[in-house]
Amino acid sequence: MTEPIDTNGDRGYSGPEAGRDVSRYMGVELREVEGASDAAPRVVGHAAAAAYLENPGHGVRAGALLTMLDNVGGLCGGLAALPEGWVVSTNLSARTVGPAPRGPMRIDARVLRQGRASVVTAVEIHDEGANGALVVDGVLTSAILVPENGPPRWSRPLVLARAEPLPAPVPMIPDWLAVQTINATTLAMPLAGALRNPWGILHGGAVACLIDLAAEHVAGGVTTDVVLHFLAPNRIGPVRATARTVGTRADGTVLRVEVRDEGADRVTALAVVTSSHRR
Amino acid sequence: MPTPYPPDRHLLRDLRLSFEQGDERTRRAWLPVVPELCTSDRAMRAGALATLVDVIGGGLAAAVAHPGWIATADLTLHLVSAATQGSVEARARVAHAGRTTVVIEVELHDDADANIGLATMSFAVLPRRDDNPDITAAPASGVSTMALATSGLRASLLDELELRVIDAGRGVLEAPVGEWSLNSLGAMQGGAVATVTDAAAETAARAATGEDLVVTDLQLTYLALARVGPIRTRVDVLGAAPDAVTARVELVDTGAGSRVTSIGRVVATSSLRGVR
Repeated sequence: MTEPIDTNGDRGYSGPEAGRDVSRYMGVELREVEGASDAAPRVVGHAAAAAYLENPGHGVRAGALLTMLDNVGGLCGGLAALPEGWVVSTNLSARTVGPAPRGPMRIDARVLRQGRASVVTAVEIHDEGANGALVVDGVLTSAILVPENGPPRWSRPLVLARAEPLPAPVPMIPDWLAVQTINATTLAMPLAGALRNPWGILHGGAVACLIDLAAEHVAGGVTTDVVLHFLAPNRIGPVRATARTVGTRADGTVLRVEVRDEGADRVTALAVVTSSHRR
Repeated sequence: MPTPYPPDRHLLRDLRLSFEQGDERTRRAWLPVVPELCTSDRAMRAGALATLVDVIGGGLAAAVAHPGWIATADLTLHLVSAATQGSVEARARVAHAGRTTVVIEVELHDDADANIGLATMSFAVLPRRDDNPDITAAPASGVSTMALATSGLRASLLDELELRVIDAGRGVLEAPVGEWSLNSLGAMQGGAVATVTDAAAETAARAATGEDLVVTDLQLTYLALARVGPIRTRVDVLGAAPDAVTARVELVDTGAGSRVTSIGRVVATSSLRGVR
């Protein structure tokens, strides 16, 4: 459920079961809240704080949290766009709050605004292992488009059960993405088929994870705040993320991260990340 | 005959902004650092800088979206250093211009050319309506300004916006939708919305910690035009440490059924003065 409308409007949506490998890795299950209106659907997701999602500080990686945000918020926005169309994410912004979650986590998404061309969803992630404490507060904006083969058809209220667990040992996120270090500021990853979303392009959660890793690569801290603009789809790969320090202040380092699809020779995402040393 | 926009006495004139057109995808603007735009640490407040970003970003987005028109979807600002003297220079460039969205990136620099912050804006591209401003006039060559000889702030930015604190602990502030801060659509200008958000978060953060925290990060999502007023804020402090607060700020238009017009996530920290 990711990437902008501008270059995807003529592409098909492969169906609800396609491109679910990322959700499976993240261990997300989703459920539409019964009783919410079709115009303002609400979706709740659940996920464990799996050890393979952790950063070196033993907290769930921001990239994983952003993937969950994109999954649940995107589905909520997509349901709001039905029956005319479906959605692709155009940008997300999120801030982590408090200590790292112990899990399980609950991801709540609700529609803030729906227009003809876009849907804005508020997404909160709570730590049910810490009395429901807020972990992430974010907003996802999605563009509405009409797939050439029509929008997906769902049974409502929608339930997407957690997929079969991955066989152990499950790789940590850098290994899952097959991330390689290019130099002191740049990481790269191949565009593996399992990382594509139902539109056939690199899943936005994978983009978010790469950005999180690139910020960590340069600043050495833990990502606490992300603004991410999806500018174009990653279709070919390899995909590179280059981080540059904007400045450092008491609560961390602010970085600009640019993502490129090297095979397509274009910039595909732009992010501003705050990396904290305290979390 | 319609009143020309902006009127003689207006935010966009009184800030004494100046602009320079670059190529089709870049633009520069300058905002003088004056005491009326500063917070208690005598550095430019985030809301004032967000206004600079909004003006230069909106202008550039409108130009690249032409003949379509634009609606601001969101504005983000991350500051890493304080602007305390001279002018702040904003360097805007088009990060993406498509059929339906435009994304602008804006770097902020101080007088010593140090990077003091980074901002982004995104816009929805809309079909042009008859009442949208005409921007087809050739841009002025060199540096231009909307300021008149008589332009200038007569009070602090917050006082010019007629902001009133209703409940500091809950970050409840109220401001009218006045002609001084209207945009071309007759609603509160986006930078003014950012300033109100900044002030509400700053007030709540200081109440929560007892420290003179200042806003360093803004993530604003614009949901609806704030047309009627008064505009009222409400703040949820999401996390508070002695030197940093994260808050969620909602602005509602009390004259329009308390419709939520924008939401923001805001970070307030100890002063950025001296940070490099």
